[in-house]
This record gives sequence, structure tokens and C-alpha cells, in this order.
Amino acid sequence: MKTFALLLLCWLAPLAAAETPGAAAQAYARGDYAGAVELWSAEVRAEGVTAARLAALGNAEWRLGRKGRAMICWERALLIDPRDPVALAGIRHGLDAGGVERPKPTAVEEYASFLNADLWLLLAVASFWTTVLCVAVPRLRGRPAGEANQWTRVGALTVLALCVPGLWGGRSLAARAVVRRAEVSLRLTPTQFGEPLRGVAEGDVVRTERPLNGHVRVRTADGKTGWVRAGEIEAVRGPGLPADLEQKAAP
Amino acid sequence: MRRFLSVCVGLCLGLLARAEDRVHWEITPRVTAPGQPFRLQIMVESDVVLGGAQFISREIKPPRGMALRLSGQIIRPDSNEATFNFSGVAPEQLGEHVIPSFNLRFARKVVVVPEIRLRVSDQVTFRREAQARAELVLPDRVLYVGELVRGAIRMRGGDDEAVVASYGLESLAEGFSMAVTAERQPLPDALGQGLQTTFDLTPIREGAGEFALNGIMLVQNGEAGAFNQGGRDRPFAFRRRLTVAHVPERGRPPEWNGAIGRFVAEGLQVSKDKPEVGEPIRLRAILTGDGNLDRILPPELPADEKWDVLPATERRRHAEDQRMFVYTLVPRLPGKLRTPAVRLATFDPATKTFSRLEFAPLEITVTGNAPAQVDLVTADPAAPVAAQPKAVTGLATPEPNRSSPFFRGSPAGSLGDAAGFWSANATALGLVLAATTVTGVLGYLAAHPEIRRRRRARALMRAALAEAEACRRRGDARGFAGAVVRGLQAGVAARLDAEDQAMTQSDVERVLPGADRARLDGLFLRAHADRFAPAASLADAGDADADLALLRRLLATR
Repeated sequence: MKTFALLLLCWLAPLAAAETPGAAAQAYARGDYAGAVELWSAEVRAEGVTAARLAALGNAEWRLGRKGRAMICWERALLIDPRDPVALAGIRHGLDAGGVERPKPTAVEEYASFLNADLWLLLAVASFWTTVLCVAVPRLRGRPAGEANQWTRVGALTVLALCVPGLWGGRSLAARAVVRRAEVSLRLTPTQFGEPLRGVAEGDVVRTERPLNGHVRVRTADGKTGWVRAGEIEAVRGPGLPADLEQKAAP
Repeated sequence: MRRFLSVCVGLCLGLLARAEDRVHWEITPRVTAPGQPFRLQIMVESDVVLGGAQFISREIKPPRGMALRLSGQIIRPDSNEATFNFSGVAPEQLGEHVIPSFNLRFARKVVVVPEIRLRVSDQVTFRREAQARAELVLPDRVLYVGELVRGAIRMRGGDDEAVVASYGLESLAEGFSMAVTAERQPLPDALGQGLQTTFDLTPIREGAGEFALNGIMLVQNGEAGAFNQGGRDRPFAFRRRLTVAHVPERGRPPEWNGAIGRFVAEGLQVSKDKPEVGEPIRLRAILTGDGNLDRILPPELPADEKWDVLPATERRRHAEDQRMFVYTLVPRLPGKLRTPAVRLATFDPATKTFSRLEFAPLEITVTGNAPAQVDLVTADPAAPVAAQPKAVTGLATPEPNRSSPFFRGSPAGSLGDAAGFWSANATALGLVLAATTVTGVLGYLAAHPEIRRRRRARALMRAALAEAEACRRRGDARGFAGAVVRGLQAGVAARLDAEDQAMTQSDVERVLPGADRARLDGLFLRAHADRFAPAASLADAGDADADLALLRRLLATR
């Protein structure tokens, strides 16, 4: 009993510690959003990316009026934890009140957002190996497969089949990008003087297709297709923090 | 005294006299017909040992129109004599032709060969068609800079000679770039027996220049066959003065891109005939014909209100007489559009005229919406404004320290992108498959013990066969019979699933129907007689080959 209490204490200790607001959270609470961005960015660099940190960073960026950076943070937070409440609330707020557009998730994407891409893959691999071992072990032992083995096989194959749309949806969710520039034109052709079709706003999420001639073909939330320059959008799948577009590349 | 002095002076003069080299040459025949092959033999005799000869072919300069090649030399290292054989073909011009004096360079000294004269006369009876001959095929006209001139050397066999090979092609072409395209190809049937070497010649400078080609063909007298190996080499030499000019500026169309020759606009191809507005497609224009296809600059294709044109990388295919120009087109408007016109101007060197080529445009159906199209909405200003319920939204309070044991990772890449993930899984799967296969094979062998038994029996039979052969060579008849019987018993026991020692002649008969019973009895008796009785006489030892054949037959039985 004593041991169990100790283990429970150890498990609860981090949760208790989580309740203590850090310097960044304090800065956010008192309205110093620029300070909060700096502190959370430093935390991400030092301790690694988590969905909660990215979501919090997204909130601070949004408060500073940087829609593109905020959307990137929230989208990346959802790639790690598809049900992160802060990121989901942020995106919902951006769509309803912030004038941001985001393609409606397809049925497969909705299904895939139940877990993240890594968990889908792990589940698929685990079920595949379970099936393989259920077939191989009785053969190696030279005995017929038992009833439990048969049931395990069926179960593992079912899980594997259920993982396929999850994997497909995860792939589709990753093939999106956020518009990072303020006034971006969707062009008819991937050329410097390509005719502008319509504008896309900073923070809009687009589905990306093929690249050509320094441009990327994208499909907007309302289904319009066109070309934008590669530097005007940032892929959702990428390193933790949003790219600093103002920073010039090293020579 | 006076007499003695005169003898001394004579001896001194003899010692001081310079040793002279004797050079003798001979042309066969002495007088030739135009274009007739001849042989030249040069014999050198010196007072000193000559040693090896060097650079013989470089020194000799045959007159214009004469082909001459060294075909053999006889020089002994310890001899003061040398013989050189040249084969040649007489010039077409009548008269006396002089090969200027030249040096023969030996290891020890240089010997001067006096000038050699060959008389060419039309009085000599010579049937040209009987001999093998070489012809240079090259257009006899003004050539143009950048043009692709196709030439050939035709080595045609005659009535008495056949051309079987050629080698040593050398060319001297200042102001031209030359590339051999095919060597030693058989001649077309219409030209008779022979070989041809084709080449491409491209003039690169304006002006007059001399084009020289020489080489050797190997000719054979009579019928070429496996037993007729007496080939002779026959040189050929061509010198042609060529005039090169630039493509005339008069009448030259502005879109001329360097195309010289006769071309055909084969057609256009598109990668997709129903693209969407803004979707790039690939347009290929295929040009065929005879000319400098590789040197043509791709025609420019300007963009217009219907199409945007992007630079495309052309993947060159060295197809025969074909050139492909590739463009990337992006449609700007929906509807039925025709591809932009691809126009080309060409210059025909034979007629000295320019002509224009145009690829027939293709009709493409472009789907999608026009960029300028606006969806009009009819609205009634008098209608009451529908109150849209606004969703209750807002940013949630951040919880940066919240963590979840399941949802970890990085948005930069998924587990599937990690190095080694797929290879580790593939390796493990391979190991499981290998283990399953091995287990399956071992299980099968365990379930069928006869496989191992028969394999062991075959090994025993082979050993018995080898032992029997050895005994037979030694003359050990009893050992021979014992080895054969042991082999037979092992083989038969594996078939009948019994013990080797228990097998008798009858069992062998069961497995080998038709086996000679008397022979089997004899074999078993010779093998086992000493167990039961004094050794039997071996005088009636049977046919050893027949005994071995029995064992071999059993070994071959499956």
C-alpha cells in the first residue's frame, strides 16, 4: 500500500507542477504577448516541441495580429495532438471571427484526426506484426493454430484495415500550407507575370499540390486552384516554430 | 720504291673512301593503267648492320592522287640488308608520277632513297571492274557552314577480288568537324559485294579547304572462304577541295534558326488533351528529315492571352533523323483552344532556297472557370436582413505545460520518415519468413523419412560403385563382387524399406525386373561364399561390365 501511494505521488507530481504558471504564461496573462512569444519560443528550442506549447504560442501570436504564424502554430499543434483544445479553439476563433479560411476536412481527414500520424502508423505496424506472428508461430512450433490465435488474427487484421484510412487521412492533412504573406495573389500560371485570379489572406490554409518553376499549385478552402510563390506559404508539416520570413538566408 | 709508294697511296685512298649504301627499287608492273594497283619494293644494302627501321610511312610523300601504304618489311637485327614492300594504287592522271626522294631511318644510320618514278599509261590493258576499288561519296556542290553533310567511303569488290575488311581510316579536314557514323557496313545489294564506312561532315568555317581521307582495305582473291585466307591490303587515298559558304542573307527569314536540310513537320503531341485552366501541359513538336537536326535552335513560342509558355527542359533522344522541341504550356482561358503555332524556317542547300514549316496546331479542351468570371448574386434590397447567429468563439486559455502520454512527437516529420524504420521492419519480416520456410522444409523431411533413406542409399551405391571399379582395376574379383552386392543391397533395401543385410537376389529382382537371375546368383555366391564354405573358384567370374551395369541401373532408378 505504501509503495502504491509513493507511485501515485510520483505520477501526480508532474501534474501538480503543471499547474504552476511559468514566466511565459504570466507574461501572457498580463498582456505582454511579445514577451510570451519570446519565452515560449525559447522553451520550445530548449525543451522541445509539445502540442500545448505550440498552441499557447499560437494564441500569443494571434494576439499580436500575426495570423499566419498563429495558424501555423495551431496546425502544427494539431498534427501532434489532433484534439488539443487550445489549438482547436484558436482555429475555430480564427475561422469565425478572424476572417481566416481553412479547407473543410474530408471524411477521411476527420477520421484520421482521431489519432496523430505516428500513432496510426504504430497501430498499423503493431497489428501487422500481430497478424504475421499469429500465422508464423504455430508453423514454427509445428502445431495447429488454436481458437484464440484465430480470433487474434481476425482482430489484428480488422485493426490493420481500420488503420488504412487513418494513414491516408494523415497524409492528406500534412499536405497543407498556411499563407504567410499579407497580400498574396492566386495566379493563373506559375510565372512571374502570371495573371492574378484572386487574393488569399494571411493565415488562410490551402491544400498544396505540385510545385513548378518556384511556385506551388494550391487549392483554397472554396475549391479554387491556382499558383502561389513557394515563399508565400509555409507547409504545415515542418519544424516546430514558424519560419521567420523576414530573416534573409545566409550567403 | 715508286711502285711501293703507289700501292700505299692506293690503300690509303681505299681506306679514306666513303662507304656507299646501295638502294634498289622495283615497281610491279613498271607501267600501270589509271587506278591500277601496283607493288613497290625497296631493297637496301649497307656496309654496316642497319638495326630496326623507324617512321617509314611518315617520310614517304606520294604524289597527288596516288595511294601508297607500307605493307611489310624484312629487317634482320644482325644483317646489313633490308627490304620494304609498299602497296599502292596508281593515280587517274596519265604521265609520269614521281615519289620524291625520302629517308629510311634505321637504328644505326639513315639511308637516302632516290626518287621513284611510276608511269601511268592508257595503253596498258587493265579491267577496272576486276579489281576491288574504293569510292568517296560526297556531294559535289558548295557546302554551308553548320550543314550536316553525309558522306561515305564505298569499298566495292571486283570480279576477281572481294573486300573483306578495312582499317586505318585517317582524315585531314581543316575547317570541318568529322564524325564516323558507321564502320564496315555491308554495301547495298545494288552496289555488289563490298563494305562502306559512313561519316558526317560539318563545315565550321567559310572558305575553301582541302579534305583528305585515306585508309586500307583488305582484299581477297577469288572466293572468300574458310580455306582461302590469302588477303592483301589495298590502300586508298582521296583529296577533295571543298568550298564552304555561309547561308545567304538574301531572302533569309527572320525566324531561321540554323536549320539546313530537308525537313518535315511530323506533328504536335500534348501530354493531356483536357487540362484545367492553369494546369501545365507539355507540348512536343516533332521534326524529322535529313539535315542538321541537332544544330537547330528551338523556335521561340511567345505567350499570349490564351496560353502562358514556360521554359521546358528538353530531354534529347538520339532518335534516327528526329528532333523534338518541348514546351510547357499553361492555359489561361477555358474552352476549346488551339495550341500556339510552332514555326520554323529551313534552308535547302541543294536548291539554295529558304522555306517555312509550320506544325499543325492541336485543339485542346480546357476545363475550369475563366479568371475574370464573377458569380453574380441577385439581392433584393427590400428584403429584411436575416439575422445570422454568430458562433460563440474565442481563444482558450493556454496550458503550455499540459502533456499527454500518447500525443508526443514532432510536426517536422512522422515516424515513417525516420531512418531505419522501414528497413528494420523489412529485415524482421524477412527473418520471420526465412524461419518459417526452414521450419516447413524440416517438417516435410521429418514427415517423409524415405527421402533421407534413399539419399543415403544413393550415397552408399556410389561408394560401392567406386570401390567395385577400384577392385576391378586391382583384379580383386571377390572384392568386386562384394562391393557390387553391397551397393545392390543398399539400393534395394531403401526401396523395400528393409535392412541392407537381409536383401537377397529375389529382392533385387523385385526392384529391378528383368535382371539376370543367374548373374545375381553368381554375384552373391562370389561375395558371400567364404562365409559359409571354403572359397569358391573364381574362374567362372562373370562379365564385370554387366555387373556394374546392374548397379548403375539401380542407381538411376527413381
